[in-house]
Formats: sequence, structure tokens, C-alpha cells
Amino acid sequence: MKQFLVLGVINGAVYGLLATGLVLVYKGARVFNFAQAEFGTVAAFFAYWLIEKQHLPYWAGDLLAILGIAIVGFLVERLIVRPLFTAPRVTLLVATAGVALVLIQLQFIIVGANAVQIGPALRGIGVNILDVVVSPQRLLIFGVLVILGLGMGYFFSRTDLGLAVLATSQEPVATELAGIGTRRMSSFIWTFAAVLGGIAGVLLAPTGALFPGFMTITDLLPAFTAAVVGGITSLPGAFLGGLLIGITQGLGEFYFGSSTIVRGAANLLVFAVLVLVLLVRPKGLIGREA
Amino acid sequence: MAVRKKNRSKPATEIVSVPDVEEVDAIEEVREAFEAPMLPVRAEPGPTFAGWVARRGLLAAIIFGVLLAPQFVDNVRENMISFALVYVVIGLSINILIGYAGQISLGHQAFVGVGAFTSAYIVSNSHLSFWIGLALAGLTGAGAALLLGLVALRLRGLYLALITLAYGFVAQNSIFNIPALTGGGAGAEAPRPAGFTGNMAFVYLCFIILAVLMYVDWRLVRSKVGRAIFAIRENELAAASFGINVTAYKLIAFVISGVFAGIGGSLFAHRSTVVVSADFNFALALTFVLMVVVGGLGSRVGVFIGSAFFALFPLIFNRFSKYTGLIGALLLLLTLTTFPGGIAQQIAPILRWFGGAPLRGHGKSQVIQSGGAGVRP
Repeated sequence: MKQFLVLGVINGAVYGLLATGLVLVYKGARVFNFAQAEFGTVAAFFAYWLIEKQHLPYWAGDLLAILGIAIVGFLVERLIVRPLFTAPRVTLLVATAGVALVLIQLQFIIVGANAVQIGPALRGIGVNILDVVVSPQRLLIFGVLVILGLGMGYFFSRTDLGLAVLATSQEPVATELAGIGTRRMSSFIWTFAAVLGGIAGVLLAPTGALFPGFMTITDLLPAFTAAVVGGITSLPGAFLGGLLIGITQGLGEFYFGSSTIVRGAANLLVFAVLVLVLLVRPKGLIGREA
Repeated sequence: MAVRKKNRSKPATEIVSVPDVEEVDAIEEVREAFEAPMLPVRAEPGPTFAGWVARRGLLAAIIFGVLLAPQFVDNVRENMISFALVYVVIGLSINILIGYAGQISLGHQAFVGVGAFTSAYIVSNSHLSFWIGLALAGLTGAGAALLLGLVALRLRGLYLALITLAYGFVAQNSIFNIPALTGGGAGAEAPRPAGFTGNMAFVYLCFIILAVLMYVDWRLVRSKVGRAIFAIRENELAAASFGINVTAYKLIAFVISGVFAGIGGSLFAHRSTVVVSADFNFALALTFVLMVVVGGLGSRVGVFIGSAFFALFPLIFNRFSKYTGLIGALLLLLTLTTFPGGIAQQIAPILRWFGGAPLRGHGKSQVIQSGGAGVRP
């Protein structure tokens, strides 16, 4: 059981990272970003190409991959989001799903359907936590999440740019009057969200097989749930939600993983948590804007 | 116009305020939606007799062209056409929820699946006729939708979207996998009804059912119920202040959508003659939403074209199979960014011309502009 718990926490870290990107976009554009996980997948493939094909060192490949996905995020905002600034939100929602589809299809054409792999960034034997051996790569994921969480907390409460993003999401007209360009903020928000997705992607890449759309398939729905459980507008909430969902999934896997009556019990449990939170605390665990 | 409103989650009774400009706007919009549509004031003379002949003639030609299309294609393509017609039925169903009522549904495959399995069970296990299966599929689809509608009374926007997503997911993974009802992973058999076993016959069965549903949809939009549902989409508070029973009409929208989806599911099952739970995955639900938005929320013609397109596109362009998905997704983005109203907005001048207006450039028709404005996922 301990093993499932520890793995759950680490999977939860990835969900948390994706959920933060979702929250960020939701704050900026009031829309669910269906392409968030795909930002991660694309970054993972960038990293694969740079590290395995171009033989760059690991850190350089990852940095370039994140830079690449930042450009993709910027282009998505310019080409797709901006023309739909005043469109109904459901249209923008479908557009983000369209972006995800385009990215997945491009991966199929360029990389092909066969799974590929990257060697881990940190080699060496695992570390023993609660009698569970955890690979250094997974520890790295967790460490980066904690650092990013603290950094983003500081960014959104102490820096001018962070406050401007918050202001844009809360009161666009007043923000505009205060001399902050909301459209430029929108560009920034989507680029930043893509970077967050990209970080999750390059960290996750060495832990398993890469195939087109792999993060959308495995991580997007838990990340959505994490974002809502944490209160869709709260960044710390998204982190906590991610961990909670990861642990829930771990427990579900432990107790019902071998059940043949209900397939995908771990995911059903995640949805049960979602429904429970929405019924008891519809604003999420931390419903405050922060 | 999207009306910005704070404190959406508070119950209506807590919001007591002097109406500001925005709210007055909203009330005006609801009044327009709820009251019977006035005849347009025609500043210019209508088309001449010859003009009407041309319009009606062309319209009749198009309809007959679509109806006769199965006569000119081979057996495989006939099956494709019935597939497209099933999608159109489902598209109409989603359009009622998202386009008319402004309630997002990302779990529509649940309603369709419930209808499909009900119909399959009635025909193969209870050995009753297809028509009873079809009727019961509509009923169970309505039941499934009503259940979700009760949730939608409490949640909206993003939260509703997530719950519908969860609903579809649970349906696909658990309910549709109960072996006694659905045959488990092997699926349930759904033989075609006697007299409609041929592909050609089944296409015309789909045509007939679709025509009935289109008529119902048309009458719905023109009725008091339709106007009430539109008013709720624009602004629930303002609609309530006009004496519209928001709870009841929202549920009615869900039920009608569920009936359509259930019937669509029944056709879906009997078209392929075997139905498995894996058919009703999230990708299908996403396709349903995509085709309606691309077709144009709130527009019957747009939804028809969008749904048929999404059904046929992967089948027709099979030989470019590597690029089909990419082309489809790019077309979707291109449509949305240049015409947020979808295909309905693109063909609006043509539709107006059929209605007697001169052929002029684009513009935004009322239906499209407000379509789904209340939806904030």
C-alpha cells in the first residue's frame, strides 16, 4: 500500500503541474484548456528529438524543449485565442480541443504511432522512502513541483507582472484603464501555461514510453479534476488538488486495481472525489482567488 | 451578448439590487427571445415571382438531391450515408442542449449509449420489435438526460462540463460493461428490423426518422417552450422574472435532448448491428460537441452539415488516412477563427436568400450570435 501511496503522490505532482496551467488559463480566458496536456506531450517529443537524436546534454535538451513549447503556446494565443476573444466560451473550448487534436495528429505524422523512450536524467539507484524505492527521476519531478509552487506563489503575490495577470483575470476593463494591456497579458498567460505544461512533459518523459497524445490520454482528466477540486481559480489549490487526486488514484489502484467487476476503478474513484467535492464544497477546497 | 454576472453560485433570492444598465440589456434580450418573434419590417420589396420560383426550385432540388443520393452510390457508401444521418440525429440532440438551452454537455455519448443498449436489449433479449426498442431507447435516453438535468439545476458552466464528462466516463466504463444488460466487452447484438436489413432500406429508415425529429425540432423552436428555453439561455434571472419556470424548462430541454439522443443511439446500434461499450468513449463525445460547434450552435441547417461532415470526412478521405485527422482538425480551427458561428455563419447569406432576401455578403444572424452565449465552460 505504501508503494501505491508514494507513487500516487508523485503522479499527483504531475497532475498538480498540469492543473496549475489549467488554472492559469482559466483565470486569463475563463476557458478550460483542452490543449494543456498536449503542451506537455509536444515538449516531451521536442526533448526526445534534441536529446536522443541530436545528442544534446540533458539539461540543454530540456531547456530548448521548454523554449520551443513556449513559442507554440505564444502562437496558439496569437492564431487561435485572440480571434476568439469575444466569442462564446464554448467556441473557445472547442478551439482548444482543436489545438490538441492538431498537435496529436502532427505527432502521428512526424513521429509515428510507435512509442519511443528517453533515458532518465538522473541515473543511479533509487532512494528509499517509507520502504518504497523511488527513482531519482520521480524525486526530481516532486522537487521541481515544490520549487515551482513556491516560485509561483511569490510571483503572483509579490511581483508587478504576477499582479497584472491576476488583475486581468478578475476585472479586464478596470485593468485596461489602469494602463495594463490585457491582450499582451493574454499572450503572456498562454505562453506561461505552455511552459508549465512543457515542464511537466519533459520531467515525465523519461519515466515511460512516449506516444502521440500520451499525456492527454493519461493525465488530462485527472488534472482537470485536480484543478476543480482545488477551486478552479486557486494556484495552491491546484497543487493540493493534484496531490489529492494522485493519492486517491494510488489508493483506488491498491484496493480495486485487480477488480474485474468495475474496470478503471481508480479513475472512477477520482470522479467520485470530484462529485463529492462539488456537492459539499462547490468552490473547491481553496475557493479563494490567489 | 455574454452577460457578465458575479456570484453566480448564490441562489437567486440573495441577489437584490437595482438593475444596472447591463441587467436592463439582459432583460430586453430575454423579452425579445420570449415574446413571439415579430415579422421583420421589410424596407425593400421582396423577390419577384420568378425569384420565388428560383428559390423554391433550388431548395427542392437540393432536398431531392440529398434524398436521392443513396440511389447513385454503391453499397458501402449507402452505409456511410446512414452513418452520417445517425450523426445528424445526435447533432440535433446536442444542439438542443448547447445551442438552445446553453447547457454544455461533454458526456453525450452516455445518452446515446443508453439508447443503443436499450434498443439492442429489447430486440435481441426480449425479442420485441425494433419500433418498441426505438421508443424505449428514446425513453431511457430521456431518463438518463433527466438525471443529468437535475444536476445541471445546481451547477453551471465549468462545473457542469466536468460533471457531464464524469457522467459519460462512468457510463462507458461501468454501466455499459454490465454483462447481463450489455453483453460486457463482447457487446450486444442489434439486428436490423425486418424490411430494413438492406443498406439502402436502412438509409431511408434513417431519413424518415430524421425528418420526424427535424419537424419536432422546428416546432420546438417556434413554440412557447422553445422561446422559454432561449430566454433561459440568455439570462436565467431575467427569464425567471418574466414568469418562466426555469427549473421546468431546463429539465424539458434535457429530456427532449435525451429523447433525440436515445433515438440516435438506437439507430446507431441497429446500423452496425452490434454495439460495444468501447464505442462510447470520450473521443466520441468530443466529436459530437465539435461537429455541432463547427456546424453552428442553434442552427438546424448548420448542425446538419457539420454533423454529416464529421461523420463522412474520415470515411471519404480514407486514402489520405495519414493526413485525415490533421486536415480535419485544421479545418475546425480555420472555421472557428474566421467564422466563430461555424458553417451556419458561412452559409447565412444563402439561407437568407432562400428566405426571400437579396443575396448579400456575410453578417451575423441573430441565432448564431447569441448561440451558447450563456455557456461559460
